[in-house]
Amino acid sequence: MEWTEQAILLQAPNPAAAENGRKLSRKGSFSARCKTADGALYWAQCAGSGKDPYRVSIDLAKDGRPVCRCSCPSRQFPCKHALGLMFELLEAKPFQVAEIPGDIADKRAKQAARAAKKEGAEGEDKPAKPKKPNAAARKKKLTKQLEGLDMAQRMVDELLRSGLGTLAGSSAQTFEKLAKDLGSCYLTGPQTAFARIALAVRAVQRDPAQAEAAYAEALRLLVALRSTIRKGRAFLEGKLEAGDFSAEDSALFEALGGVWKLEDLRAIGSFKENARLVQLSFDVSYDGAKREQVERGWWLDVDGGGLYQTLNLRPLKALKYVKGDDSRFGLLEVPALYVYPGEGDRRVRWESAASRPLTAAEREELPKLAQPGLAQAVKLVKGKIKNTLAPKFLAVLLPIGRLGKVGADFVLEDPAGERICLRDRPGDGADHACVDRLGTLPRKIPAGSALFGLMFYDGRDRTLCVHPCSVVTPDDVIRLQY
Amino acid sequence: MELKPLFDVKERLEYAAVAGAALLGEDFRLQRAAEELKPLAGASPVLAKIGAGLAKLLSAPPEERPGLLLDVLALVDAVAYTQAGTGAEGELEPLPLGGGVYHQISYGQIQPLLTALTTTGGGRVEAVKSAWDSHPEFFEDYRVLPAVVAALGDGYGEMADLCAALLKKLGPRVVPALKQGFDPGGKKEMARRVETIAAIQGKDAFPWLREILGHTKKEVRVAAITALGGDSGNTALLLGLAKYERGKNLEAVMAGLALQDGEEVASFWEQRLQKDHLSVKFLGVARTDWASDLVAKGLWGLMERLLAGEREISKEIHALLRLWWSAAQGKSSPSMLDLWRWTDAKWADLDQVRGEKGQRLGFGAELTALLLDSLCAAGPGPLCSLCLELWEKHPKEARYLPHAVAASLLIRPAAEVYDTFSPYVPTVKPLLGGEQKRAFHNGVLAGLAQTRWNAAGGRYEVGAGWSAAQPLDPRWAKRLTHAVWRTTMHDFKMPSPVGRGEHLDEYDLILTRIFDLTSPEVRQELAPYLRQRMKLLGNYQTYSRWLFAMGSSPQGALKDSILKSGRPAYLYYIWGLLNDAAKALTLDETAQLCQQVLDAGGVRKEDAAMAQKVLPWTVEQLRAGRPFPEWDDWWNMRQ
Repeated sequence: MEWTEQAILLQAPNPAAAENGRKLSRKGSFSARCKTADGALYWAQCAGSGKDPYRVSIDLAKDGRPVCRCSCPSRQFPCKHALGLMFELLEAKPFQVAEIPGDIADKRAKQAARAAKKEGAEGEDKPAKPKKPNAAARKKKLTKQLEGLDMAQRMVDELLRSGLGTLAGSSAQTFEKLAKDLGSCYLTGPQTAFARIALAVRAVQRDPAQAEAAYAEALRLLVALRSTIRKGRAFLEGKLEAGDFSAEDSALFEALGGVWKLEDLRAIGSFKENARLVQLSFDVSYDGAKREQVERGWWLDVDGGGLYQTLNLRPLKALKYVKGDDSRFGLLEVPALYVYPGEGDRRVRWESAASRPLTAAEREELPKLAQPGLAQAVKLVKGKIKNTLAPKFLAVLLPIGRLGKVGADFVLEDPAGERICLRDRPGDGADHACVDRLGTLPRKIPAGSALFGLMFYDGRDRTLCVHPCSVVTPDDVIRLQY
Repeated sequence: MELKPLFDVKERLEYAAVAGAALLGEDFRLQRAAEELKPLAGASPVLAKIGAGLAKLLSAPPEERPGLLLDVLALVDAVAYTQAGTGAEGELEPLPLGGGVYHQISYGQIQPLLTALTTTGGGRVEAVKSAWDSHPEFFEDYRVLPAVVAALGDGYGEMADLCAALLKKLGPRVVPALKQGFDPGGKKEMARRVETIAAIQGKDAFPWLREILGHTKKEVRVAAITALGGDSGNTALLLGLAKYERGKNLEAVMAGLALQDGEEVASFWEQRLQKDHLSVKFLGVARTDWASDLVAKGLWGLMERLLAGEREISKEIHALLRLWWSAAQGKSSPSMLDLWRWTDAKWADLDQVRGEKGQRLGFGAELTALLLDSLCAAGPGPLCSLCLELWEKHPKEARYLPHAVAASLLIRPAAEVYDTFSPYVPTVKPLLGGEQKRAFHNGVLAGLAQTRWNAAGGRYEVGAGWSAAQPLDPRWAKRLTHAVWRTTMHDFKMPSPVGRGEHLDEYDLILTRIFDLTSPEVRQELAPYLRQRMKLLGNYQTYSRWLFAMGSSPQGALKDSILKSGRPAYLYYIWGLLNDAAKALTLDETAQLCQQVLDAGGVRKEDAAMAQKVLPWTVEQLRAGRPFPEWDDWWNMRQ
């Protein structure tokens, strides 16, 4: 494994843990640094607050997945001592060749036995087979969901009858309480939609200047919610009638609040083998309705040109305990890429992947995976966003003819001379602002480059615009954000 | 297709949703919008569908209206999306290139830095410093650089100053970023940008500064004038500005003109000083002969008037005299030297000058001190000769002895300085004339106190950073550590910055400042002396640090010093002391000091139990070859 600072940060549960590890390494807390002759195991002692130093090791027997062990009582994994040892490796500090310690050899043997057992049972890197659904329980759940949809319908009707403007004070509290009840009906999707509506209306109360945009957003959510309720009811009734309780390749499953497991995605055949991905952009935002941090990566499928997103959701309450994601550079080779059902920017996940630097030839190919022209991309986006259930933006990779400014507006012109305005998406916040960075790009954009961004409908002037995220040149991916 | 009626419908539907669908039947504007849409219905099936939907909505019973409203809205939205335009008419201007570079920096690496630069709260300066230590290249990244520039306007001055310093270190490549979005009418951030650009580019920034000067306001104008003021090429511009600038702008012009040379400038100042005596404060930094002559002339006139009068001066006159004398610092034109000679001749008379209430002002002593300051500011040159001349003229008085020592250090060989002046520092108590001899001793100390060892520059300096003629003769170390008296001219005591409740002894402070403490000859004399003083005074925190600075241990003296001090210390300060020891000494020596602290028991009673736990453990750790623990490690053992 090649040790880089970014590789260490990817292992760390959060940047602070990595920084603490770096500090331990800097102040010389590590002693008795050793490694095996094959360089697959590194271990050392690290001075801590205990009487005896902690024994910390990094096992690289399984390539790409370092196994960290430490005798400290930390609940963070890997702990700062293991991260510190990684920094010792990064700094190329001397490690003496020694025999593998007995306790680690025992742990390795046990781990190998467990892995062999698992492999024998299921085959490597394959998720467990989906469990057989309990028909009675599933039926009960579907019935409860249908009841919930009726309640959601009543809430939508009541809200519109009295008007969105009345959603304040005690009526807002009652509304939020009712929305919570939807969670008890296994309808977390509509529950979140109601929470978002409440947030949007509250934004108007805080700042009346935002009224137009906030009410428009609330209405968009209501339109989507009505569609979800209607289609969801038909979907659930169909399943109930057919007595079919298995997972299904439908975006409605998630819209109603379902959570996909990898084994379910495999069961419905929504996966791709031996995928090769390159991350084009990474961003982090806060979802106030769900109270969670959303770490989103945008990926380009090098073989098919498809664009995917990864979402790492970290509830605020458990932020410390859920490992954060980070930007990734280079090419990711994924044995099994699981794709969520839906249209547009489909979410992907994987169990294991290996990363390597992109070759010059591979880098050169990236911008060639862009849409043939702006017209095709616009057509595609219009086709997707008019669907009431779809998000009102779509990731696009556009060929660059010229990038420049017309007056105060940043504009992309494709090789055919078609133009589109580049703007930051309203509501994304200042920390997602990218457009101005186009004006400070450090290099000239070479011919044959492409621009990756999110095409969205801007209601202010009723145009389609692109929120730029990165410039993909034949040499590099210049990220405008992270 | 003309879609205005469609968007009117959309707008009315949105209003209806906000106001409540219950009122829909009375919304005549929606009805009118629906009417206006009808002609378009024939143009496309979807518009016909919207028209039909609207008709149904307007005629529906109240309970069905919400659902129908959302259905129509969904259709209208879908049409709006599909009919959305793109493009921008007009000339496409190519994008300019920014000043930064692009690095592959991950979110985890860049985000803490951007947060520190763009938010508020504690710990930000430390985060930026830490990022600079680990990855200075991050700061030139085109995503980070604008944040560093924007942080020049940070409300926390320390952060703004740090960013200015970092930008200066990054050099000319950050200038485009500093100029981007520059607002000449802006506030502190823009003024700092001007200062930073001027510091980076020097003379190369002048064309830009002249260009923006006409548009600048307030702080930015002051910064621009100040930046232009340092160069002789801008004399004409500054003289022009002096005619109409006011307030702080005028002060910046004056400060700039004080650094200029030439007849026009001299003439300007002559007129200015006649008009406004207080303007002389700007000439303090001037080193030209005409400035020196102007100040000497003005001072001479003031002093003569003083002696010709009642020799009682008001506070205002005293303050004015001080201002003029302070402007005389570092000036050494012949007329200035003559003024000092005249002052010496009139010293007795001047010393008799009294304040408005008849009190003695000690004016003579004040002027003598000013001459020493002036010498230190001027460095080698005519003032050195003058000081030696005055000392030779009054060899029986200690008045000019500090001046003579300092001047000698600047221009004479170190051995000669030692041979000449060391006899004034007796190592055996004199039987006669003790008071006078002590005054001479103090005079030599005052002269020696003007020198210091500059570790960073690796040289001995005198006064305002002037290089000493030769390194200080190491024999002084022995002489001073064996001196009869440990007094100085002022003999003040001030709180020690490291020792809680400890006071610095000025004599020992001078000793630790004037020598290169890493020199073996100095260490040989000073280390035992400081250990002895440490035991005597009980100031173990301060003296230990001095010993650490010369790589010596307070071993053997620490325990006695702690006992002598009688001040039980917080354990945290003991940790700080031992942590500093670990940086300067071997692990074994540090372990010995831990043991001494433990034996002395100088820790306050609340921390005693914890000390009993952590100190023996630390001794074990150090003896096992492990690094000195962090405070957190000690703190975690408190239970």
